[in-house]
Amino acid sequence: MAKTELLYILRPGDSFQPLTVNAGAGEEYSVTFLILPGADVSVSIAADLTGAGANVRINGLYICGASERVEIKTNIRHLVPGTSSNQIVNGVAGGQARAFFDGRIIVAQDAQKTEAYQTNHNILLTEGAKVETKPQLEIYADDVKCSHGATIGRLDEQEQFYMRSRGIPEDEAKFLQLISFLSPVLEDVPEGRKEELAALVEASLRSVL
Amino acid sequence: MSDILLKIEGLHASIGEKEILKGVDLEIRKGEVHAVMGPNGAGKSTLSAVLTGKPLYEVTAGSITFLGRNLLEMSPEERSWAGIFLSFQYPVEIPGVTITNFMKAALDARRKHLGEKPLSGAEFLKLLRSKMDFVKMNPDFAKREVNVGFSGGEKKRNEIFQMAMLDPVLSILDETDSGLDVDALKIVADGVNALRTPEKSSIIITHYQKLLEYVVPDVVHVLKAGKIVATGGRELVQVIENQGFDKF
Repeated sequence: MAKTELLYILRPGDSFQPLTVNAGAGEEYSVTFLILPGADVSVSIAADLTGAGANVRINGLYICGASERVEIKTNIRHLVPGTSSNQIVNGVAGGQARAFFDGRIIVAQDAQKTEAYQTNHNILLTEGAKVETKPQLEIYADDVKCSHGATIGRLDEQEQFYMRSRGIPEDEAKFLQLISFLSPVLEDVPEGRKEELAALVEASLRSVL
Repeated sequence: MSDILLKIEGLHASIGEKEILKGVDLEIRKGEVHAVMGPNGAGKSTLSAVLTGKPLYEVTAGSITFLGRNLLEMSPEERSWAGIFLSFQYPVEIPGVTITNFMKAALDARRKHLGEKPLSGAEFLKLLRSKMDFVKMNPDFAKREVNVGFSGGEKKRNEIFQMAMLDPVLSILDETDSGLDVDALKIVADGVNALRTPEKSSIIITHYQKLLEYVVPDVVHVLKAGKIVATGGRELVQVIENQGFDKF
């Protein structure tokens, strides 16, 4: 079975060439992107699932702490029966950052037995940061398993107080919460790079706290 | 050297517009175990919240001195470093953070504050295991996320485990006995009793006398409507048991 792993680490000054994927029968694509502090970037990923057994996974995160503007757009089309997709995009916005998520899943009329999942969770660290999320699910088939969920929230202060009461400083408490929040994104990254990416994420989080 | 550990004078505290503590005075000496008893709504949990610096609780008058320092100027983490520990009435779940990582972060931060080197991984694990053993906690819990999916008794045991790890000077047990069966209660009591030394003190905040059968207090206070209305020895527990709080 053909398996393609794509990894994008986006730093200040980087741009992202819109990505188009066509996953045929039995093909598997795993796309990971990390938008690091200071990157003003627009990430656009379109995937067509055109053969039975095709599987597309998108794992993305953003960490912003200043005045970044980040746009993430996904467009997943399940065109034939028996395909699957899973998207997890989580992000943290601090400072005056702006983040937009526009995630679309289309399940065509013939695409029975599709499984399509999408989650987009966002944490606001400051009053000045703003996030918009627009999850869209268009299903034209009737025998499918699909779900999507999007949230925009703040870090839980009860958890923070509990940690602080044990002597964990406020920023360290937030750091532990954010690591936990972002870790689902890093579960599916290319083998052998997990530690390196986790370290990158940790350093990025510390820089925005 | 004064042997006074904690001194609360004329303490008034509010949450939002509502005044809950209306002039509390309390003095705790080193080595003493104090019980603060009172009916629901008396202000017992507010007292523990104010002692540990919980956000949203506002002290409007009075003072708290801990080992000669103005406690009210200290952040929650600074109070922990100074040796204050609260066993929560409702321990908080922290998804994604294991007990090991949680306790490592707590000990590292305190040691850093005190100018000490962090414990090595091996030293830390040895300490963790010995304290888990001390509170009869299954070692598998080290890898579990803090309080996530724990039963009521497991959460309370985890509080006493953390107390043993942090070795506080002043332990505040807020309704630690509520929701515990007798076996769990004994473990909690054994933990508290074993940590009792002439230098260390505890405040046991409770509605019931259950825990006080196992951890015998030196001084008992009755808190009612935001004020301490009676203070006495352990015989007061029996008076409350027989006559309830209405008498006060």
